[in-house]
Amino acid sequence: MLLPAIVWVIAFTFFPLISVLHFSFTSYVLGQGITGYVGLQNYIDVLESAEFWHSIAITAIYVAIAVPAEVVLGFLLAWLVSLGASGSRVFRGILAAPLFTMEVAVGYLGVTLYTDQGGPITLVLGLLGIHIPWFSTGWGGLLGAIILDIWRWTPFVFLIALAAIGAIPATIYEAALLDTRSHWQIMLRLALPLCWPVMTVAILLLLVEALKVFGLPFALTSGGPGTSTQVFSIADYLTTIQFFDFGKGSAMGIIFLILVSIIITFFFRQMRRNIE
Amino acid sequence: MSDILWSGISRPARLFAYVILLLAAFWVIFPALWAVVNSVKTTTDTFRAGALIPFVDFKPTLTSWRSVLGDPEARQALLSSTIVSLGTTIFVLLLGTPAAYSLARFFPRRSRDITLWFLSQRVLPPAVVLIPFYVMMVALRLIDTWTGLIFCYSTFNLAFGVVIMRDVFRDVSIEIEEAAKVEGATHWQIFRLIALPLAVDGLIVSAVIVFAFTWNEALFASALTSQHAMTMPAFILASRSTRGVDFNTASVNTLLAIMPPVILSFFVQRFLARGLSFGAVKG
Repeated sequence: MLLPAIVWVIAFTFFPLISVLHFSFTSYVLGQGITGYVGLQNYIDVLESAEFWHSIAITAIYVAIAVPAEVVLGFLLAWLVSLGASGSRVFRGILAAPLFTMEVAVGYLGVTLYTDQGGPITLVLGLLGIHIPWFSTGWGGLLGAIILDIWRWTPFVFLIALAAIGAIPATIYEAALLDTRSHWQIMLRLALPLCWPVMTVAILLLLVEALKVFGLPFALTSGGPGTSTQVFSIADYLTTIQFFDFGKGSAMGIIFLILVSIIITFFFRQMRRNIE
Repeated sequence: MSDILWSGISRPARLFAYVILLLAAFWVIFPALWAVVNSVKTTTDTFRAGALIPFVDFKPTLTSWRSVLGDPEARQALLSSTIVSLGTTIFVLLLGTPAAYSLARFFPRRSRDITLWFLSQRVLPPAVVLIPFYVMMVALRLIDTWTGLIFCYSTFNLAFGVVIMRDVFRDVSIEIEEAAKVEGATHWQIFRLIALPLAVDGLIVSAVIVFAFTWNEALFASALTSQHAMTMPAFILASRSTRGVDFNTASVNTLLAIMPPVILSFFVQRFLARGLSFGAVKG
């Protein structure tokens, strides 16, 4: 019963990985086919290209801001909902909803939200005297995408944290309430440590998703202005699909995969240590 | 958790908690609300500051809804999205359920390694394997077909579906199955007649998650389709680059694209946390 699934996964994940490795050593432009082996030339080209490192830097900034914000907000909101106020079920339903929205649609919607032609965000910020150039600068576009990413992914942490907090037996809270009246203390010193093993899983999965981000920033800014908001997936997609440079695109993929694996392994180790 | 915590909170603190929750709810709902409002505006009203509330500030119109739903390309995209997502979900369940069951029953020790191996599939960024899949699809003449997309998405979601479903089967009581074995039932019979019916709830959650992930995927959808099989995300990206952003139809498209998985998710809320964390929490 296990066999069909295993054969399928092996065939269609190992095979693509091996071919991407193979392509990365070739000169391969779609239409011309593989025109020869170039050794490490693709890798050298990629490692020397400023665009590649730029996309890595953009991805790093994106992930480094979005993921911690989502973890903190998600946990805090889960805690507030767990307090058990009446209506908390309604809040749970609402706060979880963005997780199932299409990222491309969210980014596209962002265009109508951030626009300075009657857009609500520009309108409100304008009243406060703040002007953010959402579409004309790289940092504005990146900030816009990160805000939407927080909207989209906070529910992921929220839902998992909610379940984790709910799994803590009520007697533990009763005991804690005898010691302190401070709910802030109970959250930080009691609930957070007890939820931490589960939270690490949530953080790891969120990190994985964030490193792959594509649809949301692409729909919002198309990677522009220029290349300023091209996270890795956008840069690789454009190299591959617009310029059909499969050799270089493959090398980019392999290098990125190595970087991602290092980051994930590092985090995984660190978190396992924390749990033990 | 009961209301022990809530009853111990002072009035101002309760008020504060409510205010924060209401703000968060507003933050979540606002973009969708904005899309709804924009979808019933005329182009002139769209760019007029102060046109906020339908019927009060401006006269709503269904022109944009009519034009999108009457547009053959948009209808084709909705159809493709539906068929590809349903196809992938069915395929993943057909192939994944037996695998998940045998992992849960026959390899309980080993299953940790297998989980990790399956999870590594999720770590692999789709952009990395885009090229081999593209080449494969060209070779099989599956570019711009529903079959091609279902094939790719099944590959990505299978591992993930198996891990979630394995967790579901682990919770199905083993005693009943052992009793059936004593009566002489085969493994296949036990799986089909006992384990499967008991796991239905969990399987529905897995199905919803796989459906949503497939429905929302944009990278492969854009790269592997050009017209016939273009799903909603690819259609939105394509129309963004060819026609620019027309706010009214953009809002309609957004709503159409966002609604199906969100609505489905409301039915399975209770089990979602568990599925999404691969069983790390028992929610």
